[in-house]
Amino acid sequence: MSFNQGILNLTNWAGNVILPTLAGLFFAIAVLKFARSEPYAAAMYGGFLCLMASGLLRAMETFASQRAWNDPDVYWMSLVSLVDWICNVLMPVYAGLQVAAGALRMGIVTRIHPTEGWLRHFVAAGLCLLLSGLVRLAEFFVVRGTGGVT
Amino acid sequence: MAAPQLLNDIIQVLLQLAPAASLVALVLAGISLRREGGTTFLIGGGFTKWMFWVVVFATLVPLVGWFTSFGVATPLPSGGIGTSWLSSFQSDVSSFVTNFIVGRMATTLAAYFVLRAILDTASGGHPLPSILAAMFLLGTQTTYSLIQSYNTGSQFAAADVLDSLWNYLAGTIMPIAAGLAIVGAIINFATRRPVMRLVAVALAMLCVSGIWKLVLSMEA
Repeated sequence: MSFNQGILNLTNWAGNVILPTLAGLFFAIAVLKFARSEPYAAAMYGGFLCLMASGLLRAMETFASQRAWNDPDVYWMSLVSLVDWICNVLMPVYAGLQVAAGALRMGIVTRIHPTEGWLRHFVAAGLCLLLSGLVRLAEFFVVRGTGGVT
Repeated sequence: MAAPQLLNDIIQVLLQLAPAASLVALVLAGISLRREGGTTFLIGGGFTKWMFWVVVFATLVPLVGWFTSFGVATPLPSGGIGTSWLSSFQSDVSSFVTNFIVGRMATTLAAYFVLRAILDTASGGHPLPSILAAMFLLGTQTTYSLIQSYNTGSQFAAADVLDSLWNYLAGTIMPIAAGLAIVGAIINFATRRPVMRLVAVALAMLCVSGIWKLVLSMEA
């Protein structure tokens, strides 16, 4: 047995055997938390992530291979790719979820509880889709700010 | 004046026991690895010290070659060990190290580390350091073979072996460890603990060579 093979088997076991099993546990925890009106999002998304460990590692490998292995900028580019993926892939998906949640609240929940904040979901969806623009806006303000107050 | 046969034989015995000493140092390095953390090691601590000696013993003959370049003649005796009792002493010690220390004791120690991993978890600690140390001990013979394969036999053999071990760590072990980091990040996320550190570490583990080149380019 080699150390290399041992740690590889450990990773495969943890990622492909234990985490999918724990996914069920996290979903159960999410349901219990939901029933008690406690925050359940972490357990629910954690359950999904447990089922996607291999895919997430492949994603990280893709981010880390945007440049040659000996390029000094490889870590920076991998972080850029991660940020790009989160802001331009995940956040638009999250925006869709927020629109759906806002529509549900506005159409259904508001009738039960009129003060529910459906607007917050639509604003969140808009912000998710405007992330790049918000960063550019912040950069614009900073660049303008370097001139000082006149 | 020719060196006495007994002296030549003693030199031969010591040189031929170097691989056994290297294996013992490797086992001690595995124990030190657990004592110093398991997932990391102390600079100047027991693990680095024993690994250094592993490399020194594995490249002992090429290292002796430096004396010749200093102008000090160091003719190493050739041939086998002439004195029979010294020869049997060497073979007995080698056999003891291979069959007893590496073949049995290292495996038993690894089993104890697995037990320790469970007890660590029970007491609120983390099982990974003990598990990694157990794997290191179980891979003692293979790790030694790996180190031997990196021995270039030149005067720079020790540095070559250390370079090759770094490449092995950066290119083989770290990308696998990135998978473990992702697993840890997922568990942290689900249990509402900090995640970003492990995500950044997973990326860094996949970019070790690039980060090294970055440091080199900053230093230039």
